Amino acid sequence: MERRLQQYFFVLSVLSLLLIVGAAYQASTPAWKRYQKQYVALEAQGEPNAITKAAVLATPPEVHQVMLTGLQRVDRCTTCHLGVEDPTMKNAAEPFRYHENLGPHIPSKFGCTICHGGQGLATEKEDAHGNVEFWQNPLLTKEYIRASCGRCHKDGDVPGVPELSEGKRLFENQGCRGCHKLNGVGGTIGPDLSLEGANHRAPEWLEKHFLTPNAVSTGSAMPNFHFTRDQAKALTYYMLSLTSEDMGSYYSTVRLIPGPEFGRQIFQEKNCINCHNVGGVGQKVGPDLQGVVGRHSPEWLDEQLINPELVYPGSSMPAYDLDGNSRKALMAYLAVVTPADVQALLSQKPHVLSPADVAIEAGRQDFARFGCVGCHGTELQGGVPNPNAQGGEVPSLLHLSDDYTKDEVLAVIRNGRVPPLDNPSGPPPPLYMPAWKKVLSDEDINRVADFLWSKQQKKADAW
Amino acid sequence: MNIFREIYQSIVRRDPLSTDKGKTELVFLNVWLHIHPAKVKKEHMKFRHTFYLGFISFFLLLILITTGIALMVYYRPYPAAAYQDMKDLQFVIYMGPFLRGMHRWAAHGMVACVFLHMCRVFYTGSYKKPRQFNWVIGVVLLLLTLGMSFTGYLLPWDQLAYWAITVGTNIGSYAPLVGGMLKEVLLGGHSVGEGALIRFYVLHVAVLPLLVVLFTVVHFWRVRKDGGLSRPVWKLKAPKTAPLVQIGGTAEAVPLAVQAASTEKTYGLMEVVTGKPIFETVTPEEDDDAVFSYPYAFVREGITLMATVTTIMSMAIFLRAPLEELANPAKTPNPAKAPWYFLGLQELVSHSALLGGVVAPALMVIALLVVPYIDRNPSRRPRDRKWAIWLFTAFVVVNLVLIVIGTFFRGPGWALVPPWVHVTGGAE
Repeated sequence: MERRLQQYFFVLSVLSLLLIVGAAYQASTPAWKRYQKQYVALEAQGEPNAITKAAVLATPPEVHQVMLTGLQRVDRCTTCHLGVEDPTMKNAAEPFRYHENLGPHIPSKFGCTICHGGQGLATEKEDAHGNVEFWQNPLLTKEYIRASCGRCHKDGDVPGVPELSEGKRLFENQGCRGCHKLNGVGGTIGPDLSLEGANHRAPEWLEKHFLTPNAVSTGSAMPNFHFTRDQAKALTYYMLSLTSEDMGSYYSTVRLIPGPEFGRQIFQEKNCINCHNVGGVGQKVGPDLQGVVGRHSPEWLDEQLINPELVYPGSSMPAYDLDGNSRKALMAYLAVVTPADVQALLSQKPHVLSPADVAIEAGRQDFARFGCVGCHGTELQGGVPNPNAQGGEVPSLLHLSDDYTKDEVLAVIRNGRVPPLDNPSGPPPPLYMPAWKKVLSDEDINRVADFLWSKQQKKADAW
Repeated sequence: MNIFREIYQSIVRRDPLSTDKGKTELVFLNVWLHIHPAKVKKEHMKFRHTFYLGFISFFLLLILITTGIALMVYYRPYPAAAYQDMKDLQFVIYMGPFLRGMHRWAAHGMVACVFLHMCRVFYTGSYKKPRQFNWVIGVVLLLLTLGMSFTGYLLPWDQLAYWAITVGTNIGSYAPLVGGMLKEVLLGGHSVGEGALIRFYVLHVAVLPLLVVLFTVVHFWRVRKDGGLSRPVWKLKAPKTAPLVQIGGTAEAVPLAVQAASTEKTYGLMEVVTGKPIFETVTPEEDDDAVFSYPYAFVREGITLMATVTTIMSMAIFLRAPLEELANPAKTPNPAKAPWYFLGLQELVSHSALLGGVVAPALMVIALLVVPYIDRNPSRRPRDRKWAIWLFTAFVVVNLVLIVIGTFFRGPGWALVPPWVHVTGGAE
């Protein structure tokens, strides 16, 4: 018995020693050391000088990391992806291949994960690529990776990524804001989307959701907008870009500088020429815009675009919801605008609104901008399914004047309304009219009502 | 050659271990071993008497202190750094995952072993006179162990840690009058944040370990002073009238006293140490059931130590210590669960905050503390203490069942969901 026990003790001691040795071996042979050895061999291959070759081969293995305090991350990807910045590795196999077309996005300043996703701190393939439990930000596939551009380049167009601008345009024009809040503006029926990109939803999920909302999120109140596959992808791109990374000053100052071409687009989209003229071409309601950049300081112009009434009390110019870079782009365009160019723009336009319609046009803009079109449709036709509401769908707004006074309509916009139930004992309908008085100014609400009234049609008489 | 001999003898002053005197001196002259008796009864070394649970708990504590000190080198106790340090331990620090794994699994193991040790002591009736107070110290050690584990739970600063501590401290806040204040003092605020992390860190690496070590020392000391380990229940003999012994006086003179001989055995080892042959003080009868601690007790302790260490090391190699996403106060996991040993409490709280969160645990702790003073039954035989055994078994089973329900049968919204049903979209 005693002899046997001493043998047990000996065996257990040897076993624990082996375990320590095993753990030490496991710890000292990570996969990245193997990759570094392979890379060094690759580098030394074409080296004619024996001494240099020996020196290259003797490179000690070490973890490479990029500390990105401005982006609040540490990326160790280059521990294995060693050739990212080495053009001679253009044709090397992964993980050593050179990263082409990086432009100004040098890895030492940007790291990798800000665009690619994945787990920068990890040094093992599975963990680093992020397809592991408890890491919600795996590598983005090639299909969606360009969506990351929008995480920094939030304003204006990103060259080569039309999806982002298209997604943003769709978001604003299809009335998403009617239900969803984005950066503080929007309805409350759907979730706030200000940080949607930080929620780490799979892009495939988002895309499916845009194509058929109920397929991935059962019971979703979101109507099917019958987006095309490309539109769904564009919206997915836009959603993925909605994060709130607290960028350091370096990153916030080097974002895309908008040029006059983007400004020209805004100039056309916002119908500036409906009130203004350039060297006499256009309308005379607002002032001539030729040379306006020389006449006023950039700050003054910026203010005029943000809040015209602050500059000229009683100004009839609407406050356009333009972001900083769009305003910059517009000013860049105004600095170079010529009457001939405006003439060209005008010739593309089928008809020009009369000055009397300007307020109505502003109302139309609000109607689109605040997302009313999401449910009521761009032509006020309604028709979005809304189970258990009377009629089973969102009503058309084309015949309001038959049943309501303008004041009643104003009250509904201000205070919101839950539609009357079709079956009183059934569940409440998913969609309802939100109260807009906290989001919109009275002036905006009045404009929207004016716009609605301008569109009213008498019902085709039944008798 | 002489100088080496001299150095050796200056370190090891005892006689060779081949002699009985050497075996005795090994225990007596060594500061680390002198808590042992020089000789132990064979019956005390029986595995099925104690299952060596006390030793295992102590060895786990040693592992925890060793690995804990090593981990302290790599850990910065503030939110911005804590989670990143965990990732560094996992990915870039040499043997980091092994170190953290050993610490994690040893911690869970210690909670379990200390509890099992308590069960063993109860079932063998070993808390009875004269060992009552050592039981109380043991209960305090159990509470300290839970405290150590709970405070350590927050340090990784991941979702698991954050919400377990949020739930755990919320349970504590249900205590009347002091609950809210207790929570605030513990967290250094109203919710788990920077303040809570540094407080838990200080408790975990300084205050609680110090208390655990101090109480462990007292616990061991009392084991010796209260008469050594209790006898295995199956060795208990019917009490017999002790023979009368005469103290003082000679054959002719009147004795100083005549009293019943003590049933507790005492060794006259002073003679052994001064060099008298051992057979003069140990009667042949005692030889039968007592053996020298060296090597009989020490080899068993050694095996226990090595078995504990190898088990924990194997777990550390093959099971990665969990680390979830970075703590996110804005995103509550559904359900948010306390550490497993508090899930019984959480289960109770889900039925009644006051009863489950305050009254029941307070009663449990008080009942455990006063057990040796309530149980006046002097017998340690199971057949004489059916009530005590039934009650304690009920206590253990209820606790285990509640923990199992809380761990495996509670899904989103604390709804009853069996573990074989997979719930999707819980976090939506």
